[in-house]
Amino acid sequence: MRSPGKLVGSLKEMFPFDWELLRHAGAEPVPYHLKKWWFCLGGTVLYLFIVQVITGIALTFYYVPSAGQAYQSVAAITHEVRFGWFIRSLHKWSANFMIVAVLLHMLRVFFTGAYRHPRQLNWLIGVGLLLTTIAFGFTGYSLIFQQQSFWGATVACNLAEAIPLIGPTAAYFLRGGPVVGENTLTRFFILHVGVLPTVIFILLALHILLIRLQGVTALRFEGEEVPEGQSHFRFWPDHVTTELAIGVLLMYFLTIFALVFPAGLGEPADPAVTPAHIKPEWFFYFNFRLLKMTSLKVSVVATMVIMAGVFFWPFIEQWLSRRFKIKDVFVVAIGVIAFLLFLVLTVWESFA
Amino acid sequence: MEDLKPLNRRQWLSSLLAGAGVLLSYGLFGIQGALFLMPERTGIKKRKLFAGNIDQYEQGKVKQFYDLQGKLILVKRDQAGFKAFSSRCPHLGCSVHWEEDNNRFFCPCHNGVFNPDGKAIAGPPADAGQKLDEVAVSVDERSGVVYIEVDDVRHGGNS
Amino acid sequence: MTLNAKRYVVALLSVFFLAALLLVAYQESRRHRIETGRLPVITGANKGCVDCHRKDGPALVQEWEISRHAQLGVGCVDCHSAQKTDIDAWQHEGVYISALVTPKDCARCHNREYEEFSKSHHARAGEILASLDNVLAEKVAGRPDNIADAVNGCWQCHGAIVKFARDENGQIMRTGKENKPVIDPDTWPNSGMGRLNPDGSKGSCHACHSRHAFQAKLSRSPENCGKCHMGPDHPQIEIYNESKHGIAFYANRDRMALDKDGEWVLGRDYSAAPTCATCHISSYMTPQGIEVGNSHDVGERISWTLRPVISTKLNMVIYEDGFKEDYPEGRALPAVGDKVKTIEKFVENEKLINRQIEREVAKIVTWQDRRQNMKGVCLNCHNDTYVDNFYKQYDDLVTLYNDKFARPAQEFMNELLADGALKADAPFEHDLQWIFYELWHHEGRRARHGASMMGPDYTHWHGMYEVSKHFYIEFLPEVIKTAELKSPALKAKYQRKIEEFLTKDEHLWLKGLSPKEAEALRSSYKQRYNQ
Repeated sequence: MRSPGKLVGSLKEMFPFDWELLRHAGAEPVPYHLKKWWFCLGGTVLYLFIVQVITGIALTFYYVPSAGQAYQSVAAITHEVRFGWFIRSLHKWSANFMIVAVLLHMLRVFFTGAYRHPRQLNWLIGVGLLLTTIAFGFTGYSLIFQQQSFWGATVACNLAEAIPLIGPTAAYFLRGGPVVGENTLTRFFILHVGVLPTVIFILLALHILLIRLQGVTALRFEGEEVPEGQSHFRFWPDHVTTELAIGVLLMYFLTIFALVFPAGLGEPADPAVTPAHIKPEWFFYFNFRLLKMTSLKVSVVATMVIMAGVFFWPFIEQWLSRRFKIKDVFVVAIGVIAFLLFLVLTVWESFA
Repeated sequence: MEDLKPLNRRQWLSSLLAGAGVLLSYGLFGIQGALFLMPERTGIKKRKLFAGNIDQYEQGKVKQFYDLQGKLILVKRDQAGFKAFSSRCPHLGCSVHWEEDNNRFFCPCHNGVFNPDGKAIAGPPADAGQKLDEVAVSVDERSGVVYIEVDDVRHGGNS
Repeated sequence: MTLNAKRYVVALLSVFFLAALLLVAYQESRRHRIETGRLPVITGANKGCVDCHRKDGPALVQEWEISRHAQLGVGCVDCHSAQKTDIDAWQHEGVYISALVTPKDCARCHNREYEEFSKSHHARAGEILASLDNVLAEKVAGRPDNIADAVNGCWQCHGAIVKFARDENGQIMRTGKENKPVIDPDTWPNSGMGRLNPDGSKGSCHACHSRHAFQAKLSRSPENCGKCHMGPDHPQIEIYNESKHGIAFYANRDRMALDKDGEWVLGRDYSAAPTCATCHISSYMTPQGIEVGNSHDVGERISWTLRPVISTKLNMVIYEDGFKEDYPEGRALPAVGDKVKTIEKFVENEKLINRQIEREVAKIVTWQDRRQNMKGVCLNCHNDTYVDNFYKQYDDLVTLYNDKFARPAQEFMNELLADGALKADAPFEHDLQWIFYELWHHEGRRARHGASMMGPDYTHWHGMYEVSKHFYIEFLPEVIKTAELKSPALKAKYQRKIEEFLTKDEHLWLKGLSPKEAEALRSSYKQRYNQ
């Protein structure tokens, strides 16, 4: 029997990874301002995403992605499988929390100007992550194949159809045909568990890589005093402990929500019967309200314009500041107005 | 900054509590997740299904009922009492039917023949020594209602 | 925050998380306890009906789903299916059905109960349609073109003759794209106990076994019988509520095993109190074992009839085909094996007619036998002296009513009829006839029923008190007034009659009490109330 040291040595030859590099990367000092809780929102999103992956994979053990059996399988999970209602409710609430966290994270990044040069690329990737998250929410909800799922998907595909130039093709691709049917469900399923996870993994990897490469901006706020010798703190164990605390807190909230507001089941999808009130998921409310206030074409084009604005914001701001010499307060104002608009439209629709 | 090595008792205690807390809570969550992935081993439950009234059964005739999986069950009354069989032929799964005139169950696919007790007496099923699957029958003396006992399946309603 | 403090925070939050997970485990364990055996089974034949009617009449489907029928896979088609040739059938969504489910339909499975029920008085409840009560509703309260009192009142308990709307050729009219036969709206909806159905069967099972949940606990509850067995002429539910039996029941409802599947036996499954069903229908324990109730003939344990002017004991003659006839005491009983011409009512051309059928006598059940059957129930809680003495008390009250008031009153009425002061074909022409009717049909029956089921207040204040009061201060004077309407000579005749009648000992009180009795009354009142 070889000594432990020799055993480890031969393992290292088998897998010649530079562990020192990892230790060094892990020991990267974390800037002081990350002690503030609203800088942990990114980590929150990541944690919630991990919860989604785990609960999502668990759910795929029982979910059947066929129009005839989808609803039944979800009902079986909810009523018959042990802790099925719990895992499903966790998945539902983690999705909602994740979208909220993404939006808050985005706001934080915006208002701290962390998108500015040289971090524009990371902003683009971030918006990509936002859109992917929304796409996750949309495809996931449709998989239940209840009335709201079916008709929500129908409406969304109809909206997609109204996009200039690529609309009809995109809609046809999404539906897998001229109307929402068998093909649609299988497509949404594979998007939800295959395509989108791949995309998000890639984007996440790039996102985190860029953060590590470029470092987190060491921000200072006016009038803030940094105690001596505390400009940075350790990743391990300090920051990890913080993240751990946040993780447990999130699990606690998710569990409580799963207990008090368990995921329910509406009427099974019926292509012959359109329910009186079709509503998309809450994160589409602002869009829906816009659609009701204007027309199909107008709202779709407006949404595209807004999305483009959000996407290219770092560059837009660069161009604006060069042209007009705008002040910070102007940027803040734009951010506040945009967010308020989103909030107002969303809340308005929720009461409609 | 604090020392990395938790030397004094305060740090040791907090580490222990935090570690234990995390292990226990996530551990329980893991157990619940594992239970989720393992379907229950409760065994197949039986359900009683209504199968007509004694007075509706004539000697030598067979009545047909469906079990909860949509399979046809044949219920027969003879001198000894009531017998019920699955209509599925044990040879290759075709549906047998009762021939009153010949006092036998007959499978048209490969001419399998079964006696009134469900035992194969001619054709491929007989060669293999097979018999029809029996289904439990019970009769309520008071009301004269006949019941067959079939496998339960989560069925019915919006479950 | 120091690292140490953070660790404590993690520990604390873990405790919260752990607590929440324990709640999850608890919730999960509760979910498991739902018994799957109670879930409804929707068979292939019924799936179409259920799927559509789950939207069109959801509460009905939901009620069926909790029924025992649903648990065994018995659904819509099993009860509602009809033959193409049935008079009330039509094709609905590809299946021949009838909305009307009669005892014959229930008999497809419950034929023993049907046999018992169809021979009982309950099944014949609709045959009173040629009675005085019906005259009151149709003629006295109703109009020629509007007999809503009978439709909404009498018939809803007793049962209507279910009829169809017909054209000038007498053919049943049909309506709608399914060609549904049109029922005469006066005759349906009707769940009367003795409903006369188009298929020839009598009665309606769901009068007691409310659809579509058909809950045993509803059928066993006294309130169920109370729908019809109440009111000024036969307040059985009120009497039951007054009696100790009723008090015991209401206080111990949760110990009555009302929900029990299958047999429900007094002295084995429950003991707290009897309900209507307990005494009149259901099974009870005897020293020899379970006395299985004749579940649906309610008359088997009845020894008196409390319906007519003068009550009599009831013997029963059972014929070889199961037909049963009550023979009041006094009517000569045939012997077993005799051939008797019986009269049975049938519905022909939507009218109730009498048919004479010769039958052979198979069994005689005397009133003593019937009383013995009832006593078997009582003996579960009371000893035999108790029970026998009760029956003496009850018999005496009925005899008192019969002899002091009913017979004399009936005699007066008969004599007035013979003298022409009353007309046989005008039963409610004079005030006297109303008074007499209520005397025996209302307060007279209240008194008798009150004694039969231990309701003292109904026996006396609502009963004999009113019988005696109305007899003396209303009936007797009205006899004279009615006679007077005919002629002064007749009036004189009846005055003499009544004077002679009142000389009997039992009526002497009219002249006054003895001095001793009067003094006792006065002094005890003064002592107690100083008045």
